[in-house]
Amino acid sequence: MTKDCRKWGVGARTVRPDAEAKVRGEALYLADMKVNGMLHAALVTSPVASGHIESLGLDHVREEPGVQIVLSADDLRGANQIGIIFDDQPLLAAGRVRMVGERLALIAADSEEQAWAAVRAAKPQIAAEPGVFDVADALSPNAPKVHDSGNLIKEFVMHRGHMDDIESRADLVIEGEYRIGGQEHAYMEGQGAIVIPGPGGTLTVYSSTQCPFYVRQRICRMTGLAEADVRVVQTVTGGAFGGKEDYPDEPACCAAVLALRAHRPVRLVLPREVDFQGSTKRHRMVVRHQLYALNSGRILGAKVEILVDAGAYAGMSTVVAERANSSCIGPYHVDAVQVSTKVCYTNNLFGGPFRGFGAPQVSAAHEQQMNRLAWKLGLDPVAVRRTNLLNHDRPTLATGEVLPCADMGPKTLDEAVFHSKWQPRWNESVKSVAGVIDPEAQGDRYRDGMGVGTIVYGCSLHHGGLLLDRGGASMILQADGTVNVAIGVTEMGQGALAAARAIASQGLGISQERIRVREVDSAMVPDSGPTVASRATLIAGRAIMDATKILADRLRNIAADLLGRVPAPQLEFGNDRITDPVSGRFVSFSEAVTALYGRRENPAAVGWFRPPDREYDDESGQGGAYIFYAFATQVARVRVDTWTGMVQVRQVTAAHDVGRAIHPPSLEGQIQGGVVQSMGWATMEDLLLDQGVLQNPGFTNYHIPTATDAPDVRIVLLEEGTPEGPYGAKGIGEPSFIPGGAAILGAVSDALGIELTELPLTPQRVRMAVEAAQTSSPEGK
Amino acid sequence: MQPKPIEEVTVTINGRKERLAVDPAKRLLDVLREDLGLTGTKEGCGKGECGACTVLIDGRPVNSCLVLVGSVDGHEVLTIEGLAQPDAAMHPVQQAFVEQGAIQCGFCTPGAVLTAVSLVDSQPAADEEAIRRYMAGNLCRCTGYTKIVSAVKTAYEILSERKGAGRRKKEC
Ligand code: FES
Ligand code: FES
Repeated sequence: MTKDCRKWGVGARTVRPDAEAKVRGEALYLADMKVNGMLHAALVTSPVASGHIESLGLDHVREEPGVQIVLSADDLRGANQIGIIFDDQPLLAAGRVRMVGERLALIAADSEEQAWAAVRAAKPQIAAEPGVFDVADALSPNAPKVHDSGNLIKEFVMHRGHMDDIESRADLVIEGEYRIGGQEHAYMEGQGAIVIPGPGGTLTVYSSTQCPFYVRQRICRMTGLAEADVRVVQTVTGGAFGGKEDYPDEPACCAAVLALRAHRPVRLVLPREVDFQGSTKRHRMVVRHQLYALNSGRILGAKVEILVDAGAYAGMSTVVAERANSSCIGPYHVDAVQVSTKVCYTNNLFGGPFRGFGAPQVSAAHEQQMNRLAWKLGLDPVAVRRTNLLNHDRPTLATGEVLPCADMGPKTLDEAVFHSKWQPRWNESVKSVAGVIDPEAQGDRYRDGMGVGTIVYGCSLHHGGLLLDRGGASMILQADGTVNVAIGVTEMGQGALAAARAIASQGLGISQERIRVREVDSAMVPDSGPTVASRATLIAGRAIMDATKILADRLRNIAADLLGRVPAPQLEFGNDRITDPVSGRFVSFSEAVTALYGRRENPAAVGWFRPPDREYDDESGQGGAYIFYAFATQVARVRVDTWTGMVQVRQVTAAHDVGRAIHPPSLEGQIQGGVVQSMGWATMEDLLLDQGVLQNPGFTNYHIPTATDAPDVRIVLLEEGTPEGPYGAKGIGEPSFIPGGAAILGAVSDALGIELTELPLTPQRVRMAVEAAQTSSPEGK
Repeated sequence: MQPKPIEEVTVTINGRKERLAVDPAKRLLDVLREDLGLTGTKEGCGKGECGACTVLIDGRPVNSCLVLVGSVDGHEVLTIEGLAQPDAAMHPVQQAFVEQGAIQCGFCTPGAVLTAVSLVDSQPAADEEAIRRYMAGNLCRCTGYTKIVSAVKTAYEILSERKGAGRRKKEC
């Protein structure tokens, strides 16, 4: 295969624009920045998950060396409210605390060391009260109320077809209750913000964030400042994964409140342990899944109940739950469904967005249900998927949406099965799952297994977030033929800048080298909504295409004149030239730009993308929830040490319906990184919560995958395009993560011959499952 | 609070001899970042868990968040800034990381690069497994490590090419 060494346009394998500064250590992250006269902030937080504040014990704090300001809820002048969807969360606790890590007071001191040293002088008195620590208990009538409104935040539903009809037609029902664990984002750069007060009550905010417009909105609400007076600049962001969607607003608001009080710049950088204990996590969920099927392996429908542990504050939990609700059937055709998703308060750490946004948890459940159906019927789990996957004959999702790309599901499955050399353990002997482990047999210590996960992911925001689903890009052609592009979506490591540059390069037909794309500055580009939901390439890409079209049309007319009245519409852009394909004559891009400046024409354009409206009915959970969908299948190959319970994920084959690879190295990096992060979630990352206190708030006891843990990742790309995507691209950030956990759950079950229902599969859990299986099996002792 | 004792610590940083008047109990990481403005060395955990703060002390990778500056008196410290001066060509390991796309958010990158430098300097050849083991102290949450491992392999190729041992296949 000859490598494509083009330097312009989409699909070119170029070096990322931010790579060299990062590899030389020149990129400035938040904590690398200093401002004259800057104070350093620290947080006094609650050690108790549920309780009544008797006193904050701040008297000594004020006398600590270097301390300039100490603020508690009573000292706040603006609204003490930081909730993003519901007004349920104070910036500083007032009266009551509902989770560990909740802020009690803010400190600003001359140095960072002094600020955090002063925290230790605080002696808050909090009378502990009973709390709710298991979401399964949250709705029981005698559960303590986390908020006065009760513990149910919201319920989502999905209804389709006639359940009683499929109940009577079904030959069998597979029932399962899945307990799926949370996850810490573990971005390598922790959270933080710098806020600089300017003349006339304005603020400049530097923030390590995915969503600068959220930061601005919440600072404005808290301080009463106008949006045009609060300029939020995203700093180079050291990883995010959803953890910097809404949470960065909190450190930013803390710093803003202090800066306005001190009339001095304030920097707040959270130490890792504070970050671990205080920031949002992937939601823990309980999924009760009943799958109705025929003996042929055809599924008829499902009844699903999902409990989402939102933790102490709603944050974005309802939005996450909405996606879990509409994703819990998976990419399969059903005649009827009845789904209820309840989002509940508990006194655990609060949940938030995390790569996959509720879909990985429910996918682990729906995929294991498919496996169990297959095992029960003596069928290959892949065959059962083929029988039920959407395709062009049955293209309708459980949400009622008809997918034009429905054939991509079976295609990803076929590719993944082929390239992984699919051969699960059950195939080896009889058509059933391998028998339980024989504790006596030496050779039985290591068991290999394979598992498969197929998913469909709705790209960009759910219908519920439609108002935010738009975005802009501004472009300036500079006189020397270089180009500046400002986009409203953020680079957090995933390659947004590289993708934006490739798309701009394609639109103008020029080398990527000429184009500069920068981190978001809220004063330079319209609010483009959040950088979430695998929408960055779509939103920035389509907005850039809009802008390049405007600019290209201007240049086309100029080039047509320069070439001597060639019809402008036939001119083509590419290779840094504007060419007349009929005569083969061309003008260079730079010449055309020089001529544009010579004529004093407008060298700038603002592009905009407004995704199409969609119809969706909340009452039934039916309708067009998302703009378009991406399918994916991953196959995992594992080895389980049945003595220690250690799961080694040896290989993951990832087949993805990506539409079009815009910047291939970044795309591959997203898949490799997503697979490994998912493997961490499924096998080793265990949030050990005891009465709401995280027992492992650091990497020594909360293990994320290292280079030795990471599996071999094989990537298969399917590039069949989608009309709405920029040059056909879909989203990849989240689809890369979602199927992995499901595939690993299936693979470990396959290896052991045990139908597992929990994640993560830590050694302890695996051992317990093995022991339970040995004692309950007829051959066991 | 007691005023901190100040002592003179002499240490060679990126090839330059520095006489620092500091509290010898200050973390090397803070001296580098705050006193010397060498912010390429990152703090990811402050507890020796993540490797983001890796620097080379006498050629060996060390977590600078665990090192007190007094203990490097008389030693040589290399940080990412010293690996290649801003206007000079990148070190082969840096070049390999860039070529292979081993950099996403970049926060782990300076530390990972320095660990890789010490690997290629200390072991003439390392296979994939040895590379993975050597790099295991440098956590990366973005890349899944595949491209980091490829970058280290590429660094070996660049180095052997420089020694005149044949040309490597370049992607583009
Ligand atoms: S900051 Fe030193 S090891 Fe993490
Ligand atoms: S590139 Fe982000 S942590 Fe390694």
